[in-house]
Amino acid sequence: MNIEKIRKRFIPMSETMLYILLSLREEQHGYRVMLHVKELTNGRIILGAGTTYQSLKKLETEGLIRATREIDRKKLYVITKIGEQILTEEANRIKEIYKNLEGLR
Amino acid sequence: MKNEKLFFFTAFKYVVPADYEHWFEELAAAGWHPVKIGQWSSVVMRFVKTEPKKYRYVVDMQPTLKMDYKQTYEEFGWEYLGQMASAQVWRQPYSVERPESFSDAPSREARNKRFMLAVSVSLTLFLLATIALAVPAIFSDLSSSDRLQLAIAAGLFFLIAVLLSAVMNKVKRNIGR
Repeated sequence: MNIEKIRKRFIPMSETMLYILLSLREEQHGYRVMLHVKELTNGRIILGAGTTYQSLKKLETEGLIRATREIDRKKLYVITKIGEQILTEEANRIKEIYKNLEGLR
Repeated sequence: MKNEKLFFFTAFKYVVPADYEHWFEELAAAGWHPVKIGQWSSVVMRFVKTEPKKYRYVVDMQPTLKMDYKQTYEEFGWEYLGQMASAQVWRQPYSVERPESFSDAPSREARNKRFMLAVSVSLTLFLLATIALAVPAIFSDLSSSDRLQLAIAAGLFFLIAVLLSAVMNKVKRNIGR
């Protein structure tokens, strides 16, 4: 799909989407993604089942992640090249915000 | 005391998913639990009285049940109760914090939009049926009693379409819940 279209749809990205995408730099299934995000955010973000499922479906449909295999009815996903590119662009956007906010009390 | 209750047309009464969930939860807290959720549950639902329990109910909209949908919910600790049309009903017991299936605003909105989409499909069908009945009622050379019957049917279908658009509006006003 057209990268420009994907950019428009995903940047800026919701925190949920960002952390799911970040987690999928390693092959995982839904529940493991939730645990990983919970750990990364010290328990601040606890993804719900519906949120996890529909976010994975959306990311898969748009080509940011892809399904790799199934183990015991569990579908495993991993980030794609396009997903990595979007994630990097989003990270740079956030770094810029961080830089501009430095010194703000 | 009777320990069985029937509820009628609940899915039509609580059209906002969050309201429907609360309705289930209040009944559960009073000890009333649905026997089973099936295709006809939107019309009539049977509840039995047992122990009061703190449940979090979730009503989700999924037209096609993919294998990993149920697997995901179950691994997150949800119990599947069944489906009415495309509405999937889940519950989970809890003690302190009410668990969420849709943990952020965009995904709650997406869930509610799926409900609106389902309603809009029925709405379109009823509008098309209204037109299909109204045209021969007005323009055909059928007998006047036949045309009257068609007109009455068209009127009924149109009324249903109006009700469905009211439902869509109500869900839309509550899109973030």
